[in-house]
Amino acid sequence: MNIRRSDPGLKIIIVGAGKVGQTITETLTQEGHDIALIDNDPSKVREITNLYDILGVVGNGASLEIQREAGVDQADLLVAVTDSDELNLLCCIVASQFGKCSTIARVRTPDYSADASYLRDKLGLDMIFNPELESAKDMARILYLPTALEVNSFAHGLADMIRFKIPEGNRLDNMSIRDLGMTITNDILICGVDRDGEVTIPSGDFQLRSGDIISYVATRKESSRFLKEIGFKTRQVKSTMIVGGGRVTHYLADLLLKRGIEVKIIENDRERCEQLTELLPRAIIINGDGTNTELLKEEGISEVGSFVPMTGIDEENILLSLYAGKNSNAKVITRIKRSNFSEVIGNLDLGSVIYPKYITSEAIIKYVRAKTAGVGSNIETLYQIFDDRAEALEFRITEQSRVTDTELIDLRVKKGVLVACILRGGKLIIPSGHDFIKSGDNVVIVTTRKGFTSITDILEE
Amino acid sequence: MNFGMIRFILCQVMRIEGLLLILPFVVSLAYNEKAGLYYLALALILFVAGSIGCFFKPKDTVIYFKESCVATSMSWILLSIFGCLPFVITGEIADFNDALFETISGFTTTGASILSDVESLSHTALFWRSFTHWIGGMGVLVFLLAVIPMSGGSNINLMRAESPGPSVGKLVPKLKQTARILYIIYFILTVIEIILLILGGMSVFDSICLSCGTAGTGGFGIRNDSFASYSTYVKWVAAVFMVLFGTNFNAFYFITLRQIKKALAMEEVRFFLGFVFCSTVIIFLNVMPSYATAGSAATDSFFTVTSLVSSTGFASCDFDVWPMNAKLILVLCMTIGACAGSTGGGFKVSRVLILLKTLRKELSSFIHPKIVRKVTMDGKSIEHEIIRSVNVYLVTFLSVFVISTLFISIDNNDMETTLTAVLATLNNIGPGMGKVGPTCNYAFFSVFSKYVLMIDMLAGRLELFPILMLFHPQLYKGLFKGLKMP
Repeated sequence: MNIRRSDPGLKIIIVGAGKVGQTITETLTQEGHDIALIDNDPSKVREITNLYDILGVVGNGASLEIQREAGVDQADLLVAVTDSDELNLLCCIVASQFGKCSTIARVRTPDYSADASYLRDKLGLDMIFNPELESAKDMARILYLPTALEVNSFAHGLADMIRFKIPEGNRLDNMSIRDLGMTITNDILICGVDRDGEVTIPSGDFQLRSGDIISYVATRKESSRFLKEIGFKTRQVKSTMIVGGGRVTHYLADLLLKRGIEVKIIENDRERCEQLTELLPRAIIINGDGTNTELLKEEGISEVGSFVPMTGIDEENILLSLYAGKNSNAKVITRIKRSNFSEVIGNLDLGSVIYPKYITSEAIIKYVRAKTAGVGSNIETLYQIFDDRAEALEFRITEQSRVTDTELIDLRVKKGVLVACILRGGKLIIPSGHDFIKSGDNVVIVTTRKGFTSITDILEE
Repeated sequence: MNFGMIRFILCQVMRIEGLLLILPFVVSLAYNEKAGLYYLALALILFVAGSIGCFFKPKDTVIYFKESCVATSMSWILLSIFGCLPFVITGEIADFNDALFETISGFTTTGASILSDVESLSHTALFWRSFTHWIGGMGVLVFLLAVIPMSGGSNINLMRAESPGPSVGKLVPKLKQTARILYIIYFILTVIEIILLILGGMSVFDSICLSCGTAGTGGFGIRNDSFASYSTYVKWVAAVFMVLFGTNFNAFYFITLRQIKKALAMEEVRFFLGFVFCSTVIIFLNVMPSYATAGSAATDSFFTVTSLVSSTGFASCDFDVWPMNAKLILVLCMTIGACAGSTGGGFKVSRVLILLKTLRKELSSFIHPKIVRKVTMDGKSIEHEIIRSVNVYLVTFLSVFVISTLFISIDNNDMETTLTAVLATLNNIGPGMGKVGPTCNYAFFSVFSKYVLMIDMLAGRLELFPILMLFHPQLYKGLFKGLKMP
């Protein structure tokens, strides 16, 4: 999908041509920005410059000369996503000191991430993000509500967007959305349905069917009432088994233990196990090969409440998830780092699937869109939902504009756009045609279009 | 192979050629020549046919390197075939083979002519002949990229296939912007030259034609004696612009950014200017005795060196009668050619530099067998991949040269003529030595030899491989399958 822009777009430098660097490059070029990509490895640069319309520069991204070559003097933003946290920070410092551009660094080591906000302010960076912590948070949210495939929250947790699959023989099977509103609850809004890979924003006549994956927005309380009503459990999982003891495991286990969820970690490397016992004293650390089915059985995979394979290899994780799906009733979360095969993966029974690279690109796109936004509204949060085929955006309305103070029914909203909810004064409004947007509201928009930077983009030209 | 996309690109090129053919029609209006109507008719036909072809955009718009190469070489062949039709229809060059030779020579900026009496042509034909140089100089696909919105990054391959040099990069992140910057620089330089020539007392028509010829480093003259009868001022202006158009355009881009130091620090540009200076001095010393004044000797030697090194091929005197030493230096100029990223042809200065540096590296490894050293250019080490491609290019260049010479030798001309005819066409220069010298033309070759030379011109302009690829049978796999299922 290509978005034509009338304005020339931002000048953005990306340092690091890894998986994340490539994903960001892809999405940002699609949104029409001028990208210069810096990496040490000429072959990687060549590969990516052959795919996208960008400028490739080979060299050390932290060196001023290389940054100059990439055009740091005129750049609006530098994003550092190399493997090394230190290099990322240095890149940003150099760029912000000499180039006067905004900077974003990826910092993943737990040692630094604790002081992320302090570092950010002292070093003059605009944003430090930690995709591993973010993906751990995403996974934790799913484990708090294991029915869901994905949970995204808006306005600091005031509203949740929850995605789940309608199972065989559920009440919702063959129910139209209008009936749902009348018989079950009117306080939720179904904002997207994925049927056989096709994402639609449903109207009132839309018939739900078993096998559909639906996303809805509601407050936490409403959401759990709704799920109970249609016969789902809404309690958080009791226990979790994690295979692989990397950084995300550390963050995830920490979050789960705080909520009183039992955590068992299986890690192959003895030394890492010892580190983990020090870092997570309340977790059970098992030293052994997590891909050994005997060990999994012995450690009780059949009784465990949830299972999260997090080895460094995607294929192993997929196999482990499939195995767990066969041999237990546990809630399964699969993390996939490379998603070149998302069409194939979609057909497998992998439970919730988490793509860490989208988490990074979401954060950066949000930042970039907010920077290009016109006056009147700010992007607060952005989620790529249904594997980036649709977007959910939260705008904060700061000023009067064409969308404010007009009943929604009178607005000429583009096709494929839905005003999912309005958050006003700590309350969530599921909008009907007679509600309107006021200055000071937070508004959540769900859309299959892309490239929205301001709330007025939802209107027809 | 994505034949749909190749078809789409070819149709776009046809459309552009249709638009460009309107310009000679405008010229014909100025001189009240009826021939212009043929140009207009052809322009309309090409534009309509191209537009119809473009209307159906293929679903799969991704093209890889091979598609780009094929699209590029096919575009150039098509351009030349349609471009020669006006000459045939108006009867000014009645023979199709000759007209095609003349047009390919124009588009590839060679400037080798089969006409013995240029002055008898109409103004329209003269303008179109010179204008093909201007189009071919920067390249029609680069033009396409500059004006037509094309999505996807894979289009860099199109530019790579058409632009000269061992490694083609971008000036700014967006390909479209890069192509535009190149064309803007090209256009502005051409306009400056036109103005300077008019200030020298030349007629507007002459200065436009000659500036187009210089800008594309082509070399079609509009007088039978090429440049000999023009004033010294005109010769110097043209010579300086030939050097400029033979320079890497990146240098001009740096100058527009006010980074003059960076432009002057480019090793390729320095080597190029140094080479031009040394050759001029040596040739000047060689030819001094046969000239009446040092001034005219200096003018002719500078003009000839710049004309041949930039692969333009204008002639201000008959350099075929110069001493052997001077002539061999001229052959060297012809072989090395202009900078990469310029409109000039030849083997390219940057390739020569890389080869010389590799040679030095190899030499030092004889002295210190375990030495670790990298070839660098402008302070940056050059990837092994590029060095390898330069070496392969040299071998290919020589093979094409040898094979073409063998074919041409069937015509049974003398050694000098045979060798320099191939050299002058393969390097897109124009005049060679002997029977193809500056005062002669290519009309006497057999039809077969002419076609060999035409292929040489195209191969030389597109840096060999895109044209050679067309001879690879693997490429045509699936072509007929694709036709059956549209």
